[in-house]
Order: sequence, then structure tokens, then C-alpha cells
Amino acid sequence: MIEVENLSKRYGEVSAIRDVTFQARPGQVTGFLGPNGAGKTTTMRILTGFMPPSSGRAIVAGHDVFTNSMEVRRRVGYLPENVPLYRDMTALGYLKFIAAVRGLRDGERRAREVLGRVDLLARADSRIRTLSKGMRQRVGVAQALIHDPEVLILDEPTIGLDPFQVLELRDLVRVLGRDHTVLFSTHILSEAEQICDQVVIIDRGEIMAQGSPQALRSELESGRPVIVRVDAELDEALTLVSALAEVGRAEISADGITATPSDPELDPRPAIARAVLERGWALNELRSVAVTLEDIFLEVAGSQTPADAAATTEAEAVAAAPEEDEVSHA
Amino acid sequence: MHSILAVFRRELALYFRSPVAYAIAFALLLFLGVLFNGFIAQANAALSFGSGIPADAGFAPNLLTFLMFLIAPLLTMRLLAEESREGTLEVLMTLPLHESSFIIGKFLAAWAYYTVLLLLSLVFYVLQTFIGMPDAGVALSAHVGAWLYGGAVLAITMIWSAVTEDQIVAAFLGSATILVLYLAEIAAIWIAGQGSSSLVADFVRELGLQAHFSVTLAQGIVRAEDITYFICVIVGALFITTRLIETRRWRA
Repeated sequence: MIEVENLSKRYGEVSAIRDVTFQARPGQVTGFLGPNGAGKTTTMRILTGFMPPSSGRAIVAGHDVFTNSMEVRRRVGYLPENVPLYRDMTALGYLKFIAAVRGLRDGERRAREVLGRVDLLARADSRIRTLSKGMRQRVGVAQALIHDPEVLILDEPTIGLDPFQVLELRDLVRVLGRDHTVLFSTHILSEAEQICDQVVIIDRGEIMAQGSPQALRSELESGRPVIVRVDAELDEALTLVSALAEVGRAEISADGITATPSDPELDPRPAIARAVLERGWALNELRSVAVTLEDIFLEVAGSQTPADAAATTEAEAVAAAPEEDEVSHA
Repeated sequence: MHSILAVFRRELALYFRSPVAYAIAFALLLFLGVLFNGFIAQANAALSFGSGIPADAGFAPNLLTFLMFLIAPLLTMRLLAEESREGTLEVLMTLPLHESSFIIGKFLAAWAYYTVLLLLSLVFYVLQTFIGMPDAGVALSAHVGAWLYGGAVLAITMIWSAVTEDQIVAAFLGSATILVLYLAEIAAIWIAGQGSSSLVADFVRELGLQAHFSVTLAQGIVRAEDITYFICVIVGALFITTRLIETRRWRA
């Protein structure tokens, strides 16, 4: 369980995050979604006890990160961004070292167990420097898992992996989500949509939206335009569609005719289908414009006024600095 | 405790895998060997004139402590600078251990490696016992003194590894600091020569490393203040290093 209340972090004059409030529940994967420099890493560093917040409160696994940092660190597994590892150690040696520092009794057994979990037992005795990026990422996940923590915090674990490795890692995160509280950050929206039970969208240090991907979608899907393609003259079809009471506005677009419903609560598709069929035309396509997290994100992030945006550019730059941004989204 | 031990073991293993550590041991033994050879030749020459020269039990400890301005930075520059550059410090700082634990573990590993160097240099004392009569008491005091001296110097140079992410910068600054502390005695003599109060000159001399070693422990004179001095330097330097690493949390 992670409970974050009004968390803020300032670097001198600039705020990296402001009044961040959200919850991550056990048995769920919570996606922490935002562009580079939005404050994801800053928030995660506070939650793992790496650095204190400027104000606000965060309870992780039942303990306050500020007043009871050691208890939190005992119960949290953390994979920092860029996966820092000791490259001169073997995978097994590294995990045994982490187990020893954590004071775990049966370090060797646990190290082998988590290596098995991330499917790396075959490379247990290879030096980390000789492992591929995907394997190193998995060693990092194993490191975060070795003490069977209540809470797992993974900072952009899929960055820099090839598509196959990304799929593997997503599967692993999904499985881990069943019996841990997983907080997982990404700037790839489709990724969050695929593996998260709950999504928290952060931009310029502020929470913009949160909820299940489905809830966020249905919230925005109402009132979305529909696309109509019929086997007839476009002008005639446009006249027909725009004449319907259920359609507020219709126009010709690249896909065919885009019709916006007159009432956001109303789905105009049945009425359109009936009208088209009554005229004896073939209905080639009739669909609602699909909403992806991408759209939600653009909507909530784009709703800031330009003045706001200008004021936070500096904060963003500072927040981005320690993250060593890797702009890998196309 | 378990985390200090875990860090200590990892770092010590690294020393024995690192070519730099072997290069230091090789260069040290070669250098001491060449000088020892000269020392024997000098003794032989004196003998041919009918007078012997005493076997100096402080031979190796004196030279080793002098060379520490080169050795210590090479041994400690990596310890924290590399962790912070590679980002592994972030992992350490989110594990359930206090900063002082891994700093002490790392320091003890460096000191342990230095102890190995010191034990290797014992070979010259053993050789002296075959060809002369070095004072066993002086040998003990000089070697224990050199051990404490080394600990203090390693702890000081480690501070610079916590200050900068750049190992070369850490090594240079460490080297310069130790050289200044080594030469404090000469500075004290110069200050005294300027006619200012002897209090300032005394203070500068006592601050330096040599006043607590070459004229006392290395000669078989064991004084509580010298041992206290070295222990205080070690504890103080480790404290400063811990504080410097702690500030990372607020600056990160």
C-alpha cells in the first residue's frame, strides 16, 4: 500500500512536484505516467526513502517515509532508472551482496530463487557487464525482489529494451502485481494501458488525472465523434447525417464523415445506421473514434494555459536534470 | 554490523581483483627493495672503515608513510566517486542501512588492503634481523604507528571521493591534502623562523602527520597523544565523509 498526500518537493525556488496525492493498492499495478521530467523519478525517490519531501506525507507499507525511513526501506524493493548495478560482479554475487546488506539469512538460496523468477539462472555466474541490457534490467528487478517486499517501485523498467524484452518485462510486472503493491513509471501510454490496474497521470509536477484505464477512457468516450463511411456520394451522405436529431455537427474528414453527437450522453450510431439503411445505401463503416490514454493525456496535459506552461518550464528542466532523460518515445 | 561486513567483503575482494592494487604493491616493494639495497651498501662501506651503522627498524615504516601521499589516493579515489557516478549509490541509499555503515565498510576494506602492504614490507625487517640487530621494540612501535598513520591518511583521502564524482580529481586533491599534512613540520619550522609566536608554529606542527610519527612512534617512543591523534583523525574524517554523503539526499 502506498498513500501519498500533498507531497511537494522544491529545489530552491523551483518545484519538481506540487501537491501530489494518490494511492496504490496491494494486488494492483499502478502506472505512473507522464512525460520525461514530469516528476516521476522525484516522487519515486521520495517514496523509497532516497530523499525527503519538502512538504506533505507519504505512507509506504504502513510507515511514514520521512519519520520511519528504515522500516520503509526494509519493505520496499526499488529499481532506479537506468538500473545501476556493480558491473564487475556476477549476477549471483551481486544478489548475494544485496541480501547480505539487507541482513537476509539465506542469501544464496534467495538469490537463486529470484534469479529463477526473472529467468536468469542460466547466467547466474556471468559478470553483469557481459549481460545484455534486458538481462541487466532483470537482474535489477531481481535485486528489488530479493527480500520479498510488500511494495515494488520500478522506475521506467522498460526503457531501452527491444520489443521482445519489453513484452517479457511487462509480463513479469503483471505477475508481480498479483501479490505485491507495484508502482511502475513509464512515459509510454500504451504500456500503462496494457499492464496497469490503475493509472496516475502526472505532468509538470502535478497529478492531472487518475483512475483505471477503462474508467478514464469511458469518461472521455462520451461525446466522442463517430466516423461514418457509406457507399454513396459524400455530399448526399453528409446532408442525411447532419439532418439527424442525434447529430449535432457533421463534416467531411479524411476517414469519411465525422459526426459529433448533439448530446454527449447520446450514442448517435443506431440512428445513423437506421437512416443509412433506409436510404438503401451500404454502410461500410460506423465507429466511435477510439480513445487511448494518448488522447486522455493530451487532453489533460494540454488543458493548461500557456502562461502556466511557461512558469513551469524551469521547474521541469530542473526536475529533468537528475533523471538523465532518454527521449525514446517516437 | 552485517551490512558493514557485506560492504567490507565486497570492497576487499575488489582490491584483490584490481590491477591497480597489485601495481601499487609491486611498485612499493620494488622501491623499498632498491633503497634497502642502497642502505646495505652504505652499511658495508661503513664497515670497511671499521665502524658499523645501526640497523634502523623504522626503515620500511618511514618510507611507506612517506609514500602514502601517492598510495592512499589511489586506494580510496574509487570508493565513493564511482558509486555516485554509476548511480549505484542510489541503490545503497535506499537499502535499510545507515550511510555510516557502508562508509565504514569501505574504509575498513582500504585499511585492510593497506595492512597487507604493511605486512609485505615486514620482509625488510626480517632481512635486517639476519644481518644486524634491529630493535624489536622499535620495530613494533614503528609498524603499529605506520598502520595507524595509514588509517588516518586513507580516511582523509576518502573524504575527497565523497566530494567529487571524478576519481582523478579525488586522487589529486587527496594527494595534495596529504602532502600538505606531511610537510606541516617544515611549515612550522618556517613559521618559527619568521619570529612569530611559537604557539602558531607548534599548532601547525602538531596538526601535521609527521610530528606524531617520524619523531615518536618510528623511533620507538609511544605516546598516548600520538595514538589519540591518529584515532581522532580517522573518526573525524569518517564523520565528515558520512555527512557529505548524507547531504546527497537533500541535494539530489
